[in-house]
Amino acid sequence: MTAATTLVSTAESQRATGLGPRRATATSQIAALWTLYKLTLRQHLHGKRWMVMVALFLLPACMAIVIRSTARDPAAILLEFMLGFMLVPQALLPLIALVYASGMIQDEQEEQTITYLLVRPIPKWAIYLMKLLATCTTAVLLTLILTVLTYAAVYLHTSASFADVAVRCAKAAAVHSLAVVAYCSLFGLISMFTSRVLVVGIIYTAIVEGVFANLPFGIRLATVIYYTRLIAYRMLDFILTNSRGAKDNLAAEAWQFDVDRDPQLLQYPSTATCMIVLLVATIVCAILAAWLCSRREFHVKVPDSH
Amino acid sequence: MHPELLNQVARPAEVTPVVTFHEVSKWYGNVIGINKLTLEIRPGVTGLLGPNGAGKSTLLQMATGQLRPSQGTLHVLGQSVWNNAALNRSIGLCPEQDAFYEWMTGWEFVHTCARLSGLAGRDARAAAARTIEAVGMTKNQGRAVRGYSKGMRQRIKLAQSLVHDPEVLFLDEPLTGTDPVARRDLMDIIQRLAGEGKSVLVSSHVLHEVESLTPNIVLLNHGRLVAEGHIRQIRDLIDSHPHHIVLVSDAYRKLASRLLAWDDVEGVRVMAADNALMVETRAPDAFYSRLPALSLEDGLAIKAVYSDDDNLEAVFKYLVEK
Repeated sequence: MTAATTLVSTAESQRATGLGPRRATATSQIAALWTLYKLTLRQHLHGKRWMVMVALFLLPACMAIVIRSTARDPAAILLEFMLGFMLVPQALLPLIALVYASGMIQDEQEEQTITYLLVRPIPKWAIYLMKLLATCTTAVLLTLILTVLTYAAVYLHTSASFADVAVRCAKAAAVHSLAVVAYCSLFGLISMFTSRVLVVGIIYTAIVEGVFANLPFGIRLATVIYYTRLIAYRMLDFILTNSRGAKDNLAAEAWQFDVDRDPQLLQYPSTATCMIVLLVATIVCAILAAWLCSRREFHVKVPDSH
Repeated sequence: MHPELLNQVARPAEVTPVVTFHEVSKWYGNVIGINKLTLEIRPGVTGLLGPNGAGKSTLLQMATGQLRPSQGTLHVLGQSVWNNAALNRSIGLCPEQDAFYEWMTGWEFVHTCARLSGLAGRDARAAAARTIEAVGMTKNQGRAVRGYSKGMRQRIKLAQSLVHDPEVLFLDEPLTGTDPVARRDLMDIIQRLAGEGKSVLVSSHVLHEVESLTPNIVLLNHGRLVAEGHIRQIRDLIDSHPHHIVLVSDAYRKLASRLLAWDDVEGVRVMAADNALMVETRAPDAFYSRLPALSLEDGLAIKAVYSDDDNLEAVFKYLVEK
């Protein structure tokens, strides 16, 4: 029988040619991790998440189009600020991160495919980190698209120069990407503690990032959005000049920055500090979650199981 | 469980075990999955038998490092299993759950598993192709897994467990839900694997399935080891106690009178509503061998014969409670 000889030849040929898989080389480890990374990216392309993502993507752009077509000559800078720096980082970025990060491990567990990963020669902490890396990649790509779409909808057919808009868009995309990576890492960590990560994540987004970040107290230092805003404030200006020539600092007012007493925001964390805080928080959350993952059991329910 | 049950089963000759459980227990909160299990699995094919809920899958999930024993020690190929990812190069698992990356083709699934096992590009492709051919799925490898029949899914699941050429294979109910052809093919594959020198632990809740694969069996029930050893010895153990066999015949009363004359028949209960008799015997093999001749006797045509004792649940209940 062909199958019989084939099975024998598999084992024998591998042993004879020294292709047996038991030797762990750096190349084989990297190949396995790269495959896991690609597998996770492909998983993101399947399922119903795309519908949610498309809706999220189009929301700010649609709002910009509606506002521009209904309001009389709306200020582009105001639209950019309200949509690109209020709606996107405060609501959409956490949701994108939540949708993908919450399912990194839990989806595999619920769909019972995690077994195929756990029985491979990849440590659990590495499985987590590769899946997080792939999740961050997806989230950043989506964020870039979201940001570009929003800026296009805000500035298309306006008097603003393309170069200026492109620079502002690039800066906004960079800030948003930093934020979404931090959110991914944070929600990934939360998913190691609870199976109700979606609920917890939404509550966290609403209360911590939505309320605490807007309070002019020290508690906002514990939010992702506070640092994001500070970076954005220093990289981009959001000054609206009205018809009488008066200038309105949109960001300072909305984000509770006391520019009257501290115009240069010297009392606030610097841009470098903000970036370091976000990066360190991201790394700490990732390491902690990977450690928890390495200690965790993944019980797959089967008909025979308890 | 009566401790003498284990003692009655002779241990195989001393061979270095590939899997060793020592006083292993596994708790899920207040529910016990495995209860102080001490067991050695030797090279070759070993059947892991037990009714649903016996703890077979828990045992296999622990043996493959997915679950950590709450108590005791567990070694595969002499190495501790928990958090030992490197050991997975030598282990293959065909899980019970019918779960896949449904959007993948059979080829992509097995190839991905080969890559995840650390096989490099060309080797992974060659290993995937050979393994898929070995399980008879080459013709269907380009189709999405979501469109596979149950038999195809079991075959491709088996392929992923073999693709990295493991030394020890854990097969969790590999024959469940398969049609007779797939079942026969899968059994052939498992036996060939043993012929190649692999150690295979195959779980099932169907006695005759395992009996066809291997004479070496381990009986589990309620997380406990009920018996282990050669299936003949366990059969003898079972056979030394009453078996209940149901015979369906229109002439059941006449049949009953004939049966009562047999020395190995210990009792006959009339089941008038079903035109049947329930016969109790301690020599089921001898009993079965005489049935065809009896059935040919004038007016005694036996329409159906079945034994509740073939149901493992009943056997285990008997073994544990007796």
